[in-house]
Amino acid sequence: MHNRFLRRFKQNRIGMSGLFIFLFLLILAIFAPVIAPYDPWDYSFGYLLPPSIDHLLGTNDIGYDLFSELLWSLRTSIFFGISVGAIASIIGLLIGVSAAISGGLYDIIVMRIADALLAIPTIMVLILIAAYFKPSTIVLIIALSLIIWQTIARGARAQTLSLKSKLHIKAARNMGASTPYIIFKHILPELFPLFAMGFVTKVRIAVFMEAGLSFLGIFDPTSKSLGIMMNYAMRYLYLDVWYNWLFPTVISLSMLIISLALMSYAIEEIFDPRLRRDNIA
Amino acid sequence: MLTLFVFRKYILSKRWVKIVTVYLMTVFILLFLNFLLPRLLPGDVIIAMYSGQEMLITDELYNELIILHGLDKPLIEQFYIYITQLAHGDLGYSYISHASTTGLIMEALPWTLLLVFSSFILSSIAGIILGVESSWRRGGRFDRSLLMFMLLIDGIPSLALGIMFLTVFSLYCGWFPTAGALTPYSDATGISYVIDVLWHLILPLGAITLSQIPGDYLLIRNSMLLTIREPFVLTARAKGIKERRIKYLHTARNAILPFFTRIGIRIVYVITGVLFIETIFAYPGLGLLTYEAISNRDLPLMQGIFTISVLLVLVVNIIVDISYKKIDPRIEYA
Repeated sequence: MHNRFLRRFKQNRIGMSGLFIFLFLLILAIFAPVIAPYDPWDYSFGYLLPPSIDHLLGTNDIGYDLFSELLWSLRTSIFFGISVGAIASIIGLLIGVSAAISGGLYDIIVMRIADALLAIPTIMVLILIAAYFKPSTIVLIIALSLIIWQTIARGARAQTLSLKSKLHIKAARNMGASTPYIIFKHILPELFPLFAMGFVTKVRIAVFMEAGLSFLGIFDPTSKSLGIMMNYAMRYLYLDVWYNWLFPTVISLSMLIISLALMSYAIEEIFDPRLRRDNIA
Repeated sequence: MLTLFVFRKYILSKRWVKIVTVYLMTVFILLFLNFLLPRLLPGDVIIAMYSGQEMLITDELYNELIILHGLDKPLIEQFYIYITQLAHGDLGYSYISHASTTGLIMEALPWTLLLVFSSFILSSIAGIILGVESSWRRGGRFDRSLLMFMLLIDGIPSLALGIMFLTVFSLYCGWFPTAGALTPYSDATGISYVIDVLWHLILPLGAITLSQIPGDYLLIRNSMLLTIREPFVLTARAKGIKERRIKYLHTARNAILPFFTRIGIRIVYVITGVLFIETIFAYPGLGLLTYEAISNRDLPLMQGIFTISVLLVLVVNIIVDISYKKIDPRIEYA
C-alpha cells in the first residue's frame, strides 16, 4: 500500500507539480536568513522606495526591505503550517485508531466531539483564544491543532474498523500478536496515505489561518507575516504600491496554498481508486 | 403533548439521538469557550480583559467591573445568570462601544446573511452545473482544462481573491465602490435602493462566491464519477432515455447527495470567507464587526459574534438534518 502509494504519487503530474512548487517555497523559507539580502528588521533604508537593484521589491512605509520581509514571512507561514499539520494529524490518527480499537463509550464520546467540532467556526475560536491568552504563536499552533483533527480521526477510525476485520489481521491475532504489535505493524502503515492527505490539508488550513489572523491584527505587528504585510500594503494602496508590495505578498500566499491544493487533489485521486483516470470504463 | 406526538418518530429514532448529542456537544464547546475558559484562566480576568485598553484600572473601577461582570458570585450562579441572559437573547454589554452586544450584532447580521446565503446559492448552482458537465466529459479537453483552472482557483484563498478584486476592479478600474454596503447619505428608496445595494454587493459577493465554487465543483465531479459507474445509469441508457435526462435526473440526482450532507460543513467555510471579505471591502456585517472587536480588544463583542456564528451553523444543520429524508428517501429513521 505504502510503496504503491508513493509510486503512484510520482506518476501523478498534478501532484508532482504541487510538490515541486512547495519544495521551492520550502527551500526559500529554510534558507531565508542566507538568501535575504538584508535584515528584515532593519529600517535604515529610505521610505517607500520603488524596486531597484539594491532593493528588489523596494521598501515599505518605515523602511524595511520588502524582499527580505517577504522571505521571512514565508518562513513564518511554512513553519506555522507544518507544525499545525504534524500535530493535528498525529492527534487525529491517535484518536481515530484508539476509538476504533477500544470501541464502547470512549468511541461514542470522542466521535461526537469530532462531529461537534465541525460545526464550530475555527477562525472565531482562534480569535477568542488569542484574546484570552497573549496571542503567541505556540498557543495558536496548539489551539488550532486541537480543533482541526476531526476529519483525520474519522478517516482513521473508519479505515481501522475495516482493517480489523481483514483476514491478515485476524490471522496475526490468532497467531498471538498483541494489540500494539498489530497497530504498529499492520494498521499504521496502511494509514500512511490517509496521514499524508490529512497532513497536506491541515497545513493548508493552518497557512490560511496564519495569514488571515495576522491580517486581522491578531499577531504581534512587529513579527513577519504575509497577512501583516497585506494589511499594511492595503493602507498605502493610494501610492501605487500594488505591484511591488501588495501583489508579491498575495501571490506568494496563493502559490503556497495552490501547491498544497494540487498535492491534496493528487493524493485523493490515488487514495480513492475509483477516481483514477486509468479506470475509465 | 401534541408536539411530542408529531415528533414521535424523531424522538424514537437512533439517528436523532446521535444528532441531538452532537448539537449538545456543540453547545457545550460554545459554553466552554465563552463562559468557562475565561474564568478558569490563571490570573485576573478583569486585567486580562482590559489590559489592552487605554484606561487606568483603579481599585474603585476594578471593584465596579467585578460586580458588573458578576464575578463576585459563585461559579454556578454566574452560569445561571449567563444562561438566563442568553435565553433572553442578551449576549452581554460591550463596555468599549457602550452598547448592547445584541444590538450591534443584529445591526450587522442582515448584511452577513445576505452575503452568506446568496454566495452559498450561487456557488452551489455553479459548482453543480460545472461539476456535472465536467464529469460527463471525463478526460476530454473541457474537463481537463476546467479541472486545472478550478484547482488553481481553489488554491487562492478568499483573502487574496478579495484583495485582488478590490485592487483591480474598485481602485484601478473604478467600476465599483471601495467600501460599505450603501452609498452614505443617499436616502434612496425603492428600485434605486435595491440597485445601490446590488452595486455594493457585487464585488464582495463575487469574491466569496468564486472562492467557494472550486470546492463544490470538485465534490460534485468526484461524486458524479462514482455514480456514473452505477448499474442504474447503464439501465437508463439501455432504455433509450435522452442523454440530458440521464445526466441530470438520473445521475446528478444521486450524485448530489454527499453535497447535501456537507452543507453544514460548507456553511462554516462560507462564514470564514465572509469574515475576511467583509473586512477587505469594509462591508458592514459581522466580519467587519469582528475586525473592530479585535482592534478594540472588545471581548464581550467577540464572544457574542462567536455565539451567533455557532447558532447560525446549528440552525442550518438542523434544517439539513430534518429535510434529509426528503432529499434521500433511502435513509432509515427507525
